[in-house]
Amino acid sequence: MRSRRAPVSRFLAAFAAVLACAHAAQAAGVAVSVVDPAGRPLADAVVTLEPVGTRAPVKPLAGVQVEQVDRRFVPQVSVVTVGTPVAFPNHDTVRHHVYSFSPVKTFELKLYAGMPHEPVVFDRPGVAVLGCNIHDQMVAWVVVVDTPFHARSGATGRARIADVPAGGYQLRVWHSSIPEGVEPATVPLTVAAADVEQRVVLVQGTPR
Amino acid sequence: MKPPARAWRRSIGARIIALFLGLLLAVQLAGWSALHASLVDHARSELPTRLAEGERLLQTLLDRKAQGLTDGARLLAADYGFRAALGSDDTETIVSVLANHGARIGATQASLLATDFRLRATTAAHPDELEAVIARLAAQAASAGRADAIALIGGRPFQAVLVPVKAPLLVGWVMMAFPLDAQLAADMRSLSGLDLTLLVRPSAAGAWTPRLTSLNAAQAAGLADETWPATGAHAGMRPVLVRDDELGVRALPLLGGPGNSTPGAGVLALLSISVDDAVRLPRDLQLALVAINLVGLAVFVLGSILTARRVTTPLRGLAEAAERLGAGDYATPMQGLRRDDEIGALSHSFERMRVNIAGNQAQILKLAYEDSLTGLPNRARLRETVDEAVARAAPGAGMALILLNLDRFKHVNDVLGYRLGDLLLQQVARRLAGEVVREGDLVARLGGDEFGILLREGSPPVALAVARRAAKALEAPFELEEHRVDIGAGIGIACWPAHAESGDTLLVRAELATMEAKRQGDGPLLYDPAIDASSAQTLTLMTELRHAVENGELRLFLQPKLALDDRRVIGAEALVRWQHPQRGLVPPAQFIPFAEQTGFIRVLTMWIFEEAARHWRTLDEQGLAVALSVNLSTRDLMDQELPRKFEALLAKHGAPAGAFCLEITESAIMDDPQRALVTLDALSAMGLRLSIDDFGTGYSSLAYLKRLPVDELKIDQSFVRHMQSDPDDAMIVRSTIDLAHNLGIVVVAEGVENGEVWEMLRDLRCDLAQGFHMGRPMPVEDFVRWSSGRRAGAAPAGAETSRLLH
Repeated sequence: MRSRRAPVSRFLAAFAAVLACAHAAQAAGVAVSVVDPAGRPLADAVVTLEPVGTRAPVKPLAGVQVEQVDRRFVPQVSVVTVGTPVAFPNHDTVRHHVYSFSPVKTFELKLYAGMPHEPVVFDRPGVAVLGCNIHDQMVAWVVVVDTPFHARSGATGRARIADVPAGGYQLRVWHSSIPEGVEPATVPLTVAAADVEQRVVLVQGTPR
Repeated sequence: MKPPARAWRRSIGARIIALFLGLLLAVQLAGWSALHASLVDHARSELPTRLAEGERLLQTLLDRKAQGLTDGARLLAADYGFRAALGSDDTETIVSVLANHGARIGATQASLLATDFRLRATTAAHPDELEAVIARLAAQAASAGRADAIALIGGRPFQAVLVPVKAPLLVGWVMMAFPLDAQLAADMRSLSGLDLTLLVRPSAAGAWTPRLTSLNAAQAAGLADETWPATGAHAGMRPVLVRDDELGVRALPLLGGPGNSTPGAGVLALLSISVDDAVRLPRDLQLALVAINLVGLAVFVLGSILTARRVTTPLRGLAEAAERLGAGDYATPMQGLRRDDEIGALSHSFERMRVNIAGNQAQILKLAYEDSLTGLPNRARLRETVDEAVARAAPGAGMALILLNLDRFKHVNDVLGYRLGDLLLQQVARRLAGEVVREGDLVARLGGDEFGILLREGSPPVALAVARRAAKALEAPFELEEHRVDIGAGIGIACWPAHAESGDTLLVRAELATMEAKRQGDGPLLYDPAIDASSAQTLTLMTELRHAVENGELRLFLQPKLALDDRRVIGAEALVRWQHPQRGLVPPAQFIPFAEQTGFIRVLTMWIFEEAARHWRTLDEQGLAVALSVNLSTRDLMDQELPRKFEALLAKHGAPAGAFCLEITESAIMDDPQRALVTLDALSAMGLRLSIDDFGTGYSSLAYLKRLPVDELKIDQSFVRHMQSDPDDAMIVRSTIDLAHNLGIVVVAEGVENGEVWEMLRDLRCDLAQGFHMGRPMPVEDFVRWSSGRRAGAAPAGAETSRLLH
C-alpha cells in the first residue's frame, strides 16, 4: 500500500551539474559524486540512468547474495535488475528469519541456517527493505532497477557507470536516508562521447 | 463524732493523695494536650507534603503505566503476525488485528497511523473523536519516537500511547488507548492513603464530572461542584469542606493544563485526604497513651498512699503518744525514734519531753505524797492509798486504819524547841515503821503530831493488837540529844467495812476514834458510832437534845456538899438531868459525852448556870444560902465570851458571883492552858470561885496549879472510894489535902459512900465531902426539903443507891 502521492517537496534534491566537455563518442562513463548538504560523501547511494524515450533491455543478474554475518546483512545495500534471484546465505551460528513487507517483494525466509533452498527473485522494480524477525537491528535494502545503467557509491561517495551510450538520460539517486515511499528526484543528463562527471547533493529526508 | 468520710477528707493523707493525683492529672493533661496539639500541627503541616508526594506518586504511577503500555504496545507492534496483517492492505483485516492484539494488552482502542500520522485504520466507532489525541501524540512522537498522553475519548479518560511499527524500518504508528479505571484510585489509596478522584469535562464550558474516585459518590460529587481552574495547577493544598468533612485537596490537571493542545476538554486529578482522619491520633498511640496514663495513675495512687501512710502513721502514733502523755502515761517510749527525718526529730523531741515530764512528775509525786521530815508517805498519799485499797478490796476482805495523835507534842516543841520536836517526830516515825507494822502495811505522817497506819488486811481485833503494839513502842522514852522524853499517844481505830463504807469516812471515823481515845486516855479505842457526832444515832440525839432544851425537858438536880467538921450543907453541885417524854429519865452518860464532842455542852452549861442562878435566889429566899457549883468543859473555857455571858445571867437573876463555884477538870485546862487561863482569870476576877475537878487523874503540873486562881480542889472519887482499902489511895488523898491546904485551897472529896470514909476524911481534915453517903443528886424541891430536914437536926441521909458520874 505504498502511496504514490508522496510529495517531492519533502526532500530537496538539488544538484549542480559540472559538465565537462562533451565528446562525440559511441559510449562514455558517467561518474556521480553523492554528498550530503554538508558536503560529506554518502556511501551506498544507488545511482541509475534511465534512457529518455527508449527502454534499455535488462537481464537478471546472477549470483547475487545478501549474506548474514555477525548478525548483519552484507551488503547492506544491493542493486539488482528486475528478475534477479538473490540468495541469503546465513554464516552465523544463530538462525535468522529474513522478511520483507515491501510491496516490491514481500517474502519471508523462516528460521533457517546455512543456505535457504530457494533464492528470492525480485521481479519488480523498487526498493525492498529486508529485516530479520528475531534481530530487529538487522536491516538491508535491495534496490531493484529496470535499467542496465546503475551503480552504488563507495566510501568516497563516488559511483561510476561505464559504457553508457550517448543519449539523454534521467539521473536518479537513491539513498537509504530517503524515507520509504518517497520518490527519488531525477536529474536529466545527456551523455555524449566524453565521460560525464556529476555531483549530486542529496538533501536527506527523514533519516534512514 | 464526725462521719469517717469527712474525717478522711480532712486528713493529711487524703490531701497528699489528692495533691499527688491532681498534679499527675495536670501533668498528664498538659502532656497529652501538648502531644495532641503537636501531632495535629504536625499532621496538618504534613498534609500538603503528603499531597505533593501523592501527586508525584500519581505521576509516577501514570508514567509507569504509560511505560508499561508503551512497552506492551511496542511488543505488539513488533509481532510478526501483526505486521504481516498490517501489510495485507485489507482494512477489515487490519481493524480486526488491531482489536485482537490490542485486547492482548488491555487496550480498548487501537488505531493504525501512517508514518505521517494519518489515520489508516481504527477500532473506534467514532474516529473523529481521536483527532485531538492523535494530534497531541503525533507532536510528541515526531521528536521522541514514541508518545503517551491522557485523553478524553467519548467523554471517558484514557491513557493513550503511540508506538512506531517497523518492518524493520518505520512503516507506521500504532496508537493504543487504555481506560483509566477504579484500579488507579485503589492503587493510589493503598500506596499513599490518599483518595483519588478524576474529574472530566468535555469542554471549557462544560461542568466537571467525577469519572472515577475512591471517595464515596457524594463526596466526589461535592468535589466536582467546586470551581476548579482547568489550567492553573494548585501548587499547594486547598482545603475543601465537603459534607462537613474537611478535605485537603491537591489538583493535578492531566488534560487541558498548560502545554496541552486541546483547549476545552479537561481531565483533573484530585488527590484528597480527610483532615480529621489525618489529625486523629492513631488508635494504637491512643491506647498506648491511655495505658501509660492508667499505669501512671495506678503507680501514683500506690505511691501517694504509701507516702501518705509514711507521713500520717507516725503522726497518728505521735498523736496517740501525746494523748497518752496527756492521760498521764509517761512510761511508754516513743515509736519512730529510728527515723532520721523530721518525724524522727519530732519523735525524739516527744521522747525528751516524755522523759522530762516523767521525771518532773515523779518529783512532784514525791513532793506531793511524801512527808519531807520523816520520809513517810503524807496525808494525801495515805488518803489515796486508802481509796485505792477500798476500791480494789476483794469481797469479804477488810482493812483497818489506825491513827495516832501524840500527847503533849506541843509541849515538847514549846519546851525543847522545834529542832528537837522534829527529831522526836523522826524517831516516832522510825519506831512505828520499824517495830509496829507488818509487811504491806503503810505508815504515814498526816501532819503535825499525827501518824497513821493502814493495815491492808485487818479485822478489828487485829487492828487493836497492832494499835497496842504501837502504844507499847511509844512507851520507851525517846532520847533527844541529852533529853529523855516520855510521850504517849491517843490511838484511834476505824475498820473498813465495819465502820465506814468509803475511804473518806474511814479517815474521819479513825480521827474521831483518836480524839475520843485521847479524851478518855485509856489506850487504843475502836470507833463507835456513839462517839461520832456525825453518825445517824448522834444526829438524832442532837436533834432531840436541842428539842429538850427548847421544851423544858431538862431538869436541874443538886447534890449537896457538906462540911466535914459540922456536917453543915455548905453547897451543892448543879447537875442536869433529861426527863425524856418517851424514854423517861435519860442517863447523863448517854448525852453528856456527846454534848461535849459536838459542842452542845456550851448550851447545856449556860442552861445549868442560869438555872443555878435562878434557883439560888429561891434558896436564898428560903434561907438556904449555899454555894452552887457548875461544871465547865474545855469548850466553855475556849469561849472568850463566857465571863460576859455569866455576868449577864448573874445580873439577870440578882445573884452574887461569890455564891457560885465553877468546876473544871485538869484535862479541860491542859488542852490549851494559855487560853483556859485567860478565861479562868477573867472568871476569877468577876468573883466566881474556881474548883479543879477530878484532881489526880490528869497530868497537870503543880506549876499550873500554882498559877491558876483556884479556890477549891476536888479529889477524884477513884482515890476516895478505895482509900478505905488501899493505903496508896489514902496516902494520895492525904497528900493532896496537905498540898491544897498548904496552898490555901479548900479540898473537896468526891465519892464518899460510907461513914468510914467520912470519918477518915474528917480525920485527914478534909474540908468538904460529896457523895451518896450524904446525899445523891436530887431535884431542887427535894434538895430544899432535904436541907430543911437536916437543919431540923436530922442525921445524914442513908446510903445512896445510885452513883453519879458527875
